[in-house]
Amino acid sequence: MQEITPFHTAINDLAGLAAGIHKNSGKIIGYMCSYAPEELIYAAGFHPMRLFSSKSDISLAENHLQAYCCSLVRGVLEDSLAGRLGYLNGMVFPHTCDSIQRLSDIWRLNTNHGFFADVIMPAKLNTPSARAYMKDVLKKFQTDLETAIGHSIAPEDLKASICLFNRIRKHLARIYELKSKFPSIIREKDLFAIVKGAMVMDRKELADRLENIVQRLEQKDPSPSSAKRIILSGSICDMPDIYSLIEAAGGMVVADDLCTGNRWFEGQMDEGIDPLEALTARYADRAICPAKHSGNTLRGENLVRLAKDHKADGVIFAFLKFCDPHAFDFPYMKDFLDKAAIKSLHLELDDQQQGQGQLSTRLETFIHMI
Amino acid sequence: MIFAGIDIGSITAKAALIRDNKLVGTCVIPTGYNPVTAGQKVFSALLAQTQIRREDITAIVATGYGRNSVDFADKAMTEIICHGVGAHFLNPKIRGIIDVGGQDSKAIALDANGQVENFAMNDKCAAGTGRFLEVMAKALDVELDDLGTISLSSSAPSKISSICTVFAESEVISMIAGQQKREDIIAGIHESAAARVGGLATKIKLKGPVIMTGGVAKNRGMVKALENRLGITILVGDLPQENGAIGAAVLASRMTL
Ligand code: SF4
Ligand code: SF4
Repeated sequence: MQEITPFHTAINDLAGLAAGIHKNSGKIIGYMCSYAPEELIYAAGFHPMRLFSSKSDISLAENHLQAYCCSLVRGVLEDSLAGRLGYLNGMVFPHTCDSIQRLSDIWRLNTNHGFFADVIMPAKLNTPSARAYMKDVLKKFQTDLETAIGHSIAPEDLKASICLFNRIRKHLARIYELKSKFPSIIREKDLFAIVKGAMVMDRKELADRLENIVQRLEQKDPSPSSAKRIILSGSICDMPDIYSLIEAAGGMVVADDLCTGNRWFEGQMDEGIDPLEALTARYADRAICPAKHSGNTLRGENLVRLAKDHKADGVIFAFLKFCDPHAFDFPYMKDFLDKAAIKSLHLELDDQQQGQGQLSTRLETFIHMI
Repeated sequence: MIFAGIDIGSITAKAALIRDNKLVGTCVIPTGYNPVTAGQKVFSALLAQTQIRREDITAIVATGYGRNSVDFADKAMTEIICHGVGAHFLNPKIRGIIDVGGQDSKAIALDANGQVENFAMNDKCAAGTGRFLEVMAKALDVELDDLGTISLSSSAPSKISSICTVFAESEVISMIAGQQKREDIIAGIHESAAARVGGLATKIKLKGPVIMTGGVAKNRGMVKALENRLGITILVGDLPQENGAIGAAVLASRMTL
């Protein structure tokens, strides 16, 4: 589908994309976690850009981070220290997984990309005080941004930003909905490019492009597919293209529990209320990641529900190697699936991935088995 | 009708033929540098050995890490699936397989039909695999095939603490320098490898009867170390190394062309 080509172009040359935005006097603020409030960054006139590692050899970052940190955290630090992130005008660190939190300190002391902010969100989200606290945190972040740009963010700009991100998320959710209904409607590598591209491209352009894709897909008359229906869960924060490997092994991704997927775009913000309230509700109520807490069973129940709603044949847990929050949650999540008699496969991925043969062997066997 | 299975492993290439649901012959050769020619070679060698003509083969299934380089096969299936089918074909009672090959080790749980129910596989690293034993044999100046027999006479296995093959090798070298008994060092190596592989079996709660397949199953010392580690009896068939190729041939016979 030619509508998807710009997404492939964007993700195949992230540095080029960023340089282009930078040249057009756009100011880029980077982040690595889906809890970074993109809506505020955008409303302040910045281009929010999720960072992925360029997968270069790690040498400079070795001086700051041990080998047992995930490849995203190590890779992005390496890119910064090696001067590959010259296009950044700032960076935001939400308070989520330990590795990202610790990178924040290293970043502040060792890099120089202009704007810097920690967004110290609450870890426990299911209490009334957490909500009040969340709102304060977002307000503080807004003030940080306003100090950086030298004027306040107009309420209508924030509102417009919320509406734009609602549009983007609505279209992404619709694409996923169609994909689950008609798995062959879109190739895995295209789905991958759309989701990854959506985190880095110009957001206005993105919203229009997504709308076109939805229109095109809705006109399509997809052929039935015999591929196995797979749900992806875990932390592929650096977005290795496991989607294509799943397709090659005879599977199709019909839904996910990823912060680079469903968890990030599901749900709409209320456009009719005070924008900061709407944002607060979004960050407090969205499906959580294991670096946050909202009740003891929520994540497990959510995954089982996803698997049932989407008539999944199996669940694939894909973690970046050394991702501790997800690894800690894994036994508990797997338990939920085992009790519901849903088969699952556990994969650890590494950016510096060799051994793709073993990965394919696992995927093919699992997909054959379910 | 005759069916063929070809298993291209990292160190050896195997082929098997079955006719009317009976094994006709098998063949093992070193894979060498080129998996594509290894596939052709092992297949021709087996045809010559059994005096069966290429035209008489109805279908071929390829397996192993080099399964996609066998361009004359009708289908490629993973070695995990093929080992399950092969073990079930030779002994339908089997419910668990421990397969240790050149660079992979796997634990596979089977259902009553020989279908894979669950599996675990080593993570990239070669610790505990055939390659690990090969490196150690070299360091000890012992033939790979003699490791098993020598280790059986040990009464006090040495303790190897490194998981990494390279570190374990230097540990072994300092043990040699420290004049520890060769059989003890080798038994220690087997225990260390068995700890890695045994972990996979525990992970999927492998149930018996368990059979060991892959080239390493021919090493009695390794089998014994695994039995001790897991507290179970482990069977070894006559053709552990060929098991995957046999399974591939059985799958070929089930193909509707
Ligand atoms: S998994 Fe959680 S902590 Fe990690 S990047 Fe995603 S939202 Fe952030
Ligand atoms: S992979 Fe895990 S450790 Fe790394 S950034 Fe994501 S959540 Fe954090």
